[in-house]
Amino acid sequence: MSSNPFPLSRDELLRAYRTMRTIRDFEERLHFEFAKGDIPGFVHLYAGEEACATGIMMHLTDIDRIASTHRGHGHCIAKGVDVHEMMAEIYGKATGSCRGKGGSMHIADLSKGMMGANGILGAGAPLICGAALASKFRGDHGVGVTFFGDGAANQGTVLESMNLAAVWNLPVLFVVENNGYAEATSVEYATAVDSYVDRASGFGMPGVTVDGTDFFAVYEAAGEIIRRAREGGGPALLECSVTRFYGHFEGDAQTYKAKGENEFNRANRDCLKIFRARVCDAELASERDFALIDVEVAALIDAAVSSAKDAPLPHARELLTDVYVSY
Amino acid sequence: MPLKVGVIANPVSGRDIRRVIAQANSLQVADRANMLLRALAGLAACGVAEAVMMPERGGVAGHVLRHLAQSANRGEARFPRLSFLEMPVTGTVDDSRLAARKLAGEGVAAIIVLGGDGTHRAVAAECGATPIAGISTGTNNAFPEYREPTVTGFATGLAASGAVPKDVAIAANKWLKVCIEGAPSEIALVDVAVVTEQNLGARALWRADTFRELYVTFADPQVIGMSAIAGLVEPVGRDEAGGLMLRLAPAGAAATIVRAPIAPGLVEPIGVEDWRRLPAGRAFTPALAAGSIALDGERELSFGPRRKVSIELVENAFATINVAAVMRYAAAKGLLREGRLACA
Ligand SMILES: Cc1ncc(C[n+]2csc(CCOP(=O)(O)OP(=O)(O)O)c2C)c(N)n1
Ligand SMILES: [Mg+2]
Repeated sequence: MSSNPFPLSRDELLRAYRTMRTIRDFEERLHFEFAKGDIPGFVHLYAGEEACATGIMMHLTDIDRIASTHRGHGHCIAKGVDVHEMMAEIYGKATGSCRGKGGSMHIADLSKGMMGANGILGAGAPLICGAALASKFRGDHGVGVTFFGDGAANQGTVLESMNLAAVWNLPVLFVVENNGYAEATSVEYATAVDSYVDRASGFGMPGVTVDGTDFFAVYEAAGEIIRRAREGGGPALLECSVTRFYGHFEGDAQTYKAKGENEFNRANRDCLKIFRARVCDAELASERDFALIDVEVAALIDAAVSSAKDAPLPHARELLTDVYVSY
Repeated sequence: MPLKVGVIANPVSGRDIRRVIAQANSLQVADRANMLLRALAGLAACGVAEAVMMPERGGVAGHVLRHLAQSANRGEARFPRLSFLEMPVTGTVDDSRLAARKLAGEGVAAIIVLGGDGTHRAVAAECGATPIAGISTGTNNAFPEYREPTVTGFATGLAASGAVPKDVAIAANKWLKVCIEGAPSEIALVDVAVVTEQNLGARALWRADTFRELYVTFADPQVIGMSAIAGLVEPVGRDEAGGLMLRLAPAGAAATIVRAPIAPGLVEPIGVEDWRRLPAGRAFTPALAAGSIALDGERELSFGPRRKVSIELVENAFATINVAAVMRYAAAKGLLREGRLACA
């Protein structure tokens, strides 16, 4: 075996791959299952963007909080939310992460520092400022990471939160997952700057753009930014350019995409393929190692889907539990 | 044929990790557009009637077009006519490469480049004998000199129109050719660094203890980046024959330490084992068995026992507009003056 060219051990590399593969399989399976009509509500798939969530979350522990988006399954899985509970939640079952009352866009698990997917664009940013402020007061060195898309990045809440994080020097990482589209609107049409890094500069915080399909680029940049925030260096923005393999939501005909765009991205910008080729090339793992993980993950997703389907719906008397908080 | 100058403006330079690990600036799209407009105004003032630009979707072109329309509405004639190359936009460095080839093919008198070392490298590799007038918008920028773009536009116009003779206006430049297994793979305009990190990661270089070898085309103690190390050891001019090569080591393990600004605001102690002049035309192989090669400060290629690299200095590799020489000549010959000049 050759020396390790990566900043991660073989075990960590395989863990990163397992996370990315779990997200990919979870989403591909949902794509298939959703078409059958058993899943209530909308689902937005994260397939194609796995390296972004994974490269960032590898630097976090349960004390660190994240605030996710409507496209949140990948963030949940990478943050360690239980895959069975997630699947059950998406099916609206009593065994789900939120007892089946949230669905895809409200999966949350506070024990894992996952503050929730969010159906409201840009709503995660103020939430994470609160979490980061709490960490700062407690002095626990926790950081907050908020994800938002290229479209949501134009929401006032995001910009206000960036200002607040800057003036209060909060340990926050603002992550723009730029997949080129907000629903059917292209980023070039809808955003007045060429890079979201310009937005960060406006608030006096550093911003970095990386190729979000390159796990190692995300991992290294996120590592520096998160370490800086933990040490009291303040907030920063990370823009990851990614691709979305499926439609905006399941059922989207994607007429706004160029002919062959999805095929091109799957062939040339698949973060899992890129990761696998690099690690195999360095002889740190073999195709067999990856294939074994693939089999294991496929079994996990199978089991999650069948147990979600078998699980009971929440009881009507549960309708108001866990919904309101009394102070 | 009206006098035509090409323009390649990279909309996305200057967004890398050096903003986090150091204090590199981040030039916004409106600033880039303004810089380009200033260069265009300089060109027009010297009689350049037409500029042809690389299309992009990053927003620089949009800002520029809005300004040009506003200026035209007000009846001004401060800018050349601007048109765009017909080519697909991928949003990657390939656009700069293709645009450079097309502009050279169209026979433009010069190409104004807005971007960092990476953009300049892409253009230099493809533009043949067409001279480059570089404007720095990137991060480390050892290659393009810091200068007001109006002046760069001015000098480019004077050179393009033939008002300043070629032997004054055009400078020859060196580059470093990097081969993999003997086949040419990449070039660097300023420096090639050999580092122990095999992972390309976020690409920039800042962990000084990983630096092992450095090859430079020129070594200026006033620049920033890897070549600053060489510049602080033994300055070598852009127009001098040969370059410089240095063996580096972790600061704790070397007899000589050089404190060099390897990124904006980041001054690091660098261990230097030895150095020597780098002759042109000879290929050198790094002593390190495996690692990565950084071109002009960014990790671009990894190498190992099964993927051997070599580095060679090439002279007269590409041409640039010598802005300082053009402006001196213009002043001496009174090219931008009218009427008699009285000296009190
Ligand atoms: C405040 C608000 N406005 C509008 C919507 C409707 N909506 C849902 S997703 C979406 C597009 C989001 O695009 P982007 O932020 O780029 O994320 P992506 O879907 O590409 O991951 C819109 C407009 C919403 N959910 N919330
Ligand atoms: Mg989007």
